Amino acid sequence: MESAKSVMEPVAWILQMLTGLIMVVLVTVHFYVTHMISHDALEYSAVVERVSSPVFQGMYALLLLVVSFHAFNGLRAIVLDTNAGMRSRGTINVLTTLMFLVAFFYGLYLLISI
Amino acid sequence: MAEFRVRRFDGKKSYWQTFNVPAKKGMTVLEGLYYIKENLDSSLAFRASCRMGICGSCAMRINGKPRLACETQILFLGDRITVEPLDNFTVIKDLVTDFEGFFAKHKAIKPYLIREDVKYDEPRELLQTPKELNEYYIFTLCIKCGACYSVCPAAATLDGYLGPAAMTAAYRFCADSRDKGKKERYEIVSSSNGVWRCHLAMECSEVCPKNVEPAKAVQLLRRRTAFSILKSLLGW
Repeated sequence: MESAKSVMEPVAWILQMLTGLIMVVLVTVHFYVTHMISHDALEYSAVVERVSSPVFQGMYALLLLVVSFHAFNGLRAIVLDTNAGMRSRGTINVLTTLMFLVAFFYGLYLLISI
Repeated sequence: MAEFRVRRFDGKKSYWQTFNVPAKKGMTVLEGLYYIKENLDSSLAFRASCRMGICGSCAMRINGKPRLACETQILFLGDRITVEPLDNFTVIKDLVTDFEGFFAKHKAIKPYLIREDVKYDEPRELLQTPKELNEYYIFTLCIKCGACYSVCPAAATLDGYLGPAAMTAAYRFCADSRDKGKKERYEIVSSSNGVWRCHLAMECSEVCPKNVEPAKAVQLLRRRTAFSILKSLLGW
């Protein structure tokens, strides 16, 4: 029986909960701004103007961070639930971390370059 | 008459066999199986011992749900009974499943009080208040029948997963005020095969014949484990 002193699993679990909670708040703000304030909020010019403001850029960067982490950590947990996934635990951890970082930094690049 | 449809396994192939059992009021599924063994087919294999819901030996899938055969009355279910071995266990013969791995996992979580100041040759009383007892009492009622493990989706996909019964036992001892081995157990249950693999399907609590609530124990253990490790990381 494996005896792991690894802190990865508990830290990942706590962060999964925290990112879930942050997502609820940020997605609510996002929906409020895009669907409830103005009928034109989803027009291209309005989106570009909104995303250009530092406040929204910061909020969307944070949303991107928590969504990317939540998604790929969730994927990691699902794959580790299988015998095959658990056998390649190290590879799965590295791969999903890389996928999270790529998704976050690519999204951040797109957000900043708007 | 009740019709017993039993899923049998002869070591090579699995097949269904039907038996007619004269069912009387109050007669249990286990008594029905004994009737079959004594009167209709002596080759039928099943495991049973106490006949009073204490030993947990006769857990099997009855009408699609894990139950204790000795506590399930035939006429309560109707006149058609389907009996199968527990899921998530390797079937040895007919309704007898291999519990070796299940008990190995139970043993792995050190299901006993860990203390350095107690010696077997010098026993001493360890006092506990009723409030301290109530912290874990419900979890001491587990009879290790394997019903929870048989419905656990995490145990179905991952062979090494500790499972609800073992983690309930781990929580039972971690919540015991007399125990000093919490850190040891936290390390075991916080392994990749431990508490993190639970999806909170809660079927374990749903089917437990003793209402032990293994799902609650796993969640409490998960919280304790996570915060214990976080505290040690932060140096608190």
